Amino acid sequence: MHKYISENNLKALLDHLIADGKRVIAPRMDAGTPLYGPLADSAGIVLDQLPRRSAKETFFPVCEDIMSYDKEGQQVTLRDVSPANFPETILVGVRPCDAAAIPVLDAVFSWDYKDEFFLERRRKTTIVGLACTQADDACFCTAVGLSPADPKGSDLFLTPVEGGGYACETFTDKGEALVNNHGELFAEPNGTPALPLAEPQTEKFDLKKVKAWLDDHFEDPAWDSIAVRCVGCGACAFLCPACHCFDIVDEGTEKAGKRRKSWDACGFWKFTHHASGHNPRDLQPKRYRNRIMHKFKYYDDKFGQTLCTGCGRCIRFCPVGIDIAAIVNEISKK
Amino acid sequence: MHHTEKHNFEPKIIAFVCTWCTYAGADLAGTSRMQYPANVRVLKFPCTGRIDPVFILKAFQQGADGVLVSGCHPGDCHYIAGNFHARRRFAAFRKLLEFVGVDLGRLQFSWVSAAEGGKWVEMVTDLTERVRGMGPMQEFRELALEEQWSGAIDTPELREAYNSI
Amino acid sequence: MTNSIDTSIYTAITEAIQDEARRILSERSVIAVVGYTAARRKGSAQPVVITQADDAGKLIFSAACVNNLAVYLTKAKKEIPKGGKIGIVVKGCDLKALVGLLGESQLKREELYLIGVPCAGVLASTAQPARELTGDTIAPKCRECDNHLPQGCDFVPDQRPVTLELAGKYSAEIARLEAMTPAERWAYWKEQFKKCIKCYACRQVCPFCFCEQCLCDRNKPQMVETTPRPAGNTAWHIVRAMHLAGRCAGCAECERVCPMDIPLNLLNRKMAKELKELYDYEAGFEVREKGPLAMYDEKDDQSFIK
Repeated sequence: MHKYISENNLKALLDHLIADGKRVIAPRMDAGTPLYGPLADSAGIVLDQLPRRSAKETFFPVCEDIMSYDKEGQQVTLRDVSPANFPETILVGVRPCDAAAIPVLDAVFSWDYKDEFFLERRRKTTIVGLACTQADDACFCTAVGLSPADPKGSDLFLTPVEGGGYACETFTDKGEALVNNHGELFAEPNGTPALPLAEPQTEKFDLKKVKAWLDDHFEDPAWDSIAVRCVGCGACAFLCPACHCFDIVDEGTEKAGKRRKSWDACGFWKFTHHASGHNPRDLQPKRYRNRIMHKFKYYDDKFGQTLCTGCGRCIRFCPVGIDIAAIVNEISKK
Repeated sequence: MHHTEKHNFEPKIIAFVCTWCTYAGADLAGTSRMQYPANVRVLKFPCTGRIDPVFILKAFQQGADGVLVSGCHPGDCHYIAGNFHARRRFAAFRKLLEFVGVDLGRLQFSWVSAAEGGKWVEMVTDLTERVRGMGPMQEFRELALEEQWSGAIDTPELREAYNSI
Repeated sequence: MTNSIDTSIYTAITEAIQDEARRILSERSVIAVVGYTAARRKGSAQPVVITQADDAGKLIFSAACVNNLAVYLTKAKKEIPKGGKIGIVVKGCDLKALVGLLGESQLKREELYLIGVPCAGVLASTAQPARELTGDTIAPKCRECDNHLPQGCDFVPDQRPVTLELAGKYSAEIARLEAMTPAERWAYWKEQFKKCIKCYACRQVCPFCFCEQCLCDRNKPQMVETTPRPAGNTAWHIVRAMHLAGRCAGCAECERVCPMDIPLNLLNRKMAKELKELYDYEAGFEVREKGPLAMYDEKDDQSFIK
């Protein structure tokens, strides 16, 4: 279904949804930083920049309780968190690199174990994507086979058009329902041309060649020169729309506590640290190798997809300037 | 209604004390049958030099309304200089807590010797009454219940827990 | 632009660094040189370790050379060759961290070859590294830099930086916070710490966070909640600031790398200010065996103790 919505009507749509008791998650300023979060009203929405963290946290929170316990004497009471309580959500203003990562994550969270914490949030969320008209030299969605107008992962996709407003296209029942429930805010497409799309300048990767090299080069001196500078923080993984490793810890007191699931990162020294004291990834290059291997080989082996959508966040915010686009490009030429 | 609540509020005071001076001083207060508020929970350490600032932080996080740190008078440390080191560390730490917004009225440092049972009673009573006047330490308790938006679940039970503090 | 900063000397400095690195590597007076090299993005730079004289031409210095390379010399960074003299490119602010590490017996002066950089300033953020260095894009630490020309290095290029008089930001911001009520300050930091995702970039880039196991990673006993929730985040940032008090010399790497823009250096500067007032101590100027919180004076202030 093709429609048109003006900027004011988009805001009106968000306000209607909020008034209806729906949770509207969109980019907004949070203590000076552009981040996705619940909108109190449409005025707070910020659509002119890529949020610092990706949209994945809507489905895969930074930290969430998955169980709680109480202990009184010998009596232990366990309480599960019920995914039924997750709110119905509209996720708005999602750039193609963020939206495309969501179906990539579906694969892992619904594989051998069905992660209801992820999947239930996923079911209850309608995703409104937004095409990009601006890119910087860290953007590389086109290099991994996506584009600034790729609707992958979006239920409803908006493309800014000349003279303001957006061309809307629905891709799923959820997207259609959103349009149909608020039909008065949408108009028929008027044929206005779309604004020129962003053009990321990064060379397209030959992902097959990259994978072929990775298949044979688990051990290679290149890893040392690539990652000797890596300081072992989790900024890349935590900002990444596709990284999905998590840790589970129990926190609380002897009497009561919570079991919590929170983001984890393969760059951390502790990530593979065994209880015995042994660490199979004892040095940073081995940890960074895992990051590349997981994104361009392991995930492909298992799910036939690449675990990178080219958002460029890890490039912009790596404390030591590690550039995954440069690294993968170099690998593809080996 | 509000007034009664305040009256009923019994502050939780955590006292980190050294075993050689203040603990003995508190003991003396007890054996001398002096009265002091039962609000104080005493934790004994070998020396104030062993009391890591993170203990104070942890006490507040675990629900303390006030914290007392007390040890030997300067020059009386069993380990010669533990309290001198502690003095600098706490001078710095209280400035840090103040800067992040902790009201320093809830944090008291003192020197109480083994012979000063009376001073112990005075310290504990003063701090307890002061904190009683300030009301419960809400900041850390509220913080403990807060979640990042993405992990927050809005259930009636959680809302009740939040409202009860 | 009126407030642009002259970085033309960086070209000559780059050449001087390359020549010196080539010389010390070919004479084998060092086993490696830690410096900066250009990366793919226009204007970008990243740390590099070179061990061959032939690679000296890779070294650069520019306004995007923001990193404090001292972090690579600590025992926490096992990937960098140890066990021989190492050359390192240092700005004045980075040198202060090295001075601290020497004082804490983490490094030996005779095992370092210091290539000092006459520095007019670097960018606040390298998210967009091609930006011109101006009074607006310059790192806040550079606005109040007192060490444009590092002293006590083995080699410093001849160029002299031309700097602008810029108003300091940290002292004004600290004063603004100090003037608030405790509740207002709590609210301010709560908003900031709430954003934290515990990526630990602040810890990993800090030259002074060289503990093999951080207290905040331990779970037996767990002193600080490890989860990235507001409570654990607040505890982490308080502990971090406390552990750096009297040691941090203000390279501000923690603040630069924070992907959530938390003004971490404010905490460090506040502690530095307090320790200066209390004990007349400033970190980073001379190699001293003990910092202000590792020593005492019998006459220290105790007006806060009853």
